[in-house]
Amino acid sequence: MIYENRQVPEGINVSHEHPLKEFFALLAGLIVIIVTVVLVLAMLANYLAPLIPFSMEQKLLSQMDAKWQQEKVSGVDLQRQQYLQTLGAELASAMDMPDDIQLNIHYSKGKTVNAYATLGGNIVLYHGMLRKLPHENAVAMVLAHEIAHVKLRHPIVAAGRGITVMLALASMTGLGDNGMIAGLINQIGITSTLGFSRRQESDADADALLALQKHYGHVAGAEMLFEVLQEQATVKSPDFLNTHPGSAQRIQRIKDFSSAHPGDGKVTALPQYLRFEK
Amino acid sequence: MYYQLILFIALVSVGFVFGRHAEQKHFKSILQREQSYAALLTFSMRFPPPELEIRDSALVAGNVVISVDYFKRIAAGLRSFFGGRVAVYESLIERARREAILRMKEAAMAQGASMIINVKLETASISKGAEGQVGAVEVYAYGTALVTPDTPAFTEVVLNQ
Repeated sequence: MIYENRQVPEGINVSHEHPLKEFFALLAGLIVIIVTVVLVLAMLANYLAPLIPFSMEQKLLSQMDAKWQQEKVSGVDLQRQQYLQTLGAELASAMDMPDDIQLNIHYSKGKTVNAYATLGGNIVLYHGMLRKLPHENAVAMVLAHEIAHVKLRHPIVAAGRGITVMLALASMTGLGDNGMIAGLINQIGITSTLGFSRRQESDADADALLALQKHYGHVAGAEMLFEVLQEQATVKSPDFLNTHPGSAQRIQRIKDFSSAHPGDGKVTALPQYLRFEK
Repeated sequence: MYYQLILFIALVSVGFVFGRHAEQKHFKSILQREQSYAALLTFSMRFPPPELEIRDSALVAGNVVISVDYFKRIAAGLRSFFGGRVAVYESLIERARREAILRMKEAAMAQGASMIINVKLETASISKGAEGQVGAVEVYAYGTALVTPDTPAFTEVVLNQ
């Protein structure tokens, strides 16, 4: 008997298709699925979350324990907070706020160059932001922008969107046993919600400009806010990865608005206790 | 987020470029060595051919560990989402299996064997299930090498190449 090992032809166990072809086809499929899921959930949040009564937002917040809730404000800081509260109320009256919404403006000693609106009509302005704003009009732009978020129910919409999208992504990542792909799914999911976040910011900017126009008769000085933010930005990343539209774009919108609604352009000075050394 | 994206693309690209280069080089070497060692026969049967005159026998083994690269890991992860043939791992296992057999053959030739019978393969995954680990595959081939009176000539030819 003759024994031999015959040559086995190649390509039985290994496919000759280029691996990148498969990779990009699968990646594209995954992106389409995630973006569709996120889009549907975000649109549902946009539609359903504003139906939650404002009083429910306040209840939700009472169960949380945010840092600004514990911060004790006294002395000159209290004066600053009262000033912001008054300015906020004036701006709100120019913004057709629904009757059930109450605004609480907080002054925080934090050094962060930021301000935000959160559940229950609460707005927090950091000292770090205020010390960079040269006049009342720029402060009013920050306040009006955050008040617009509250008025448009953005905090509850964002919370509803965030929670549902996170749950959906968590159930998708639970399908595979590959930790790295879980990271990829989360990144794609979060990136696709950012468009909604940028949209909210643009809407709030537009509403804020209308309020400033009504209150001061012009929007001059509003762009100072974004010039400050532009200075702060250390990394310039593409728009689709950011929660906010680019500062240059936001400044341009103010300029466009300003040329459509010309005014005397006189800015109002801030009281002494809100003027800081440059 | 921006840096994470750049890092991800960089890792996938590095994995793809180096992984693919290594794979192509490895397959070339496998094909070439398989031809050189073709005269050393390997079989899975448990018993030697009855008419074969056996002078000696020995247990021979070949062992190989090949790492998965970042690109393969991500591509396989994408596959796990949709199901189907994991082509990137198929080529990896194929390389490991053939390399293990080649190393086993080298061990057999060192014994002066002309045939390996009862060839078996074992596979193991290293760092299986560990979160964030890229992982590696091990293939172990073993069998019984048989030395027959007519073998030395051919073994020396191959080993002297």
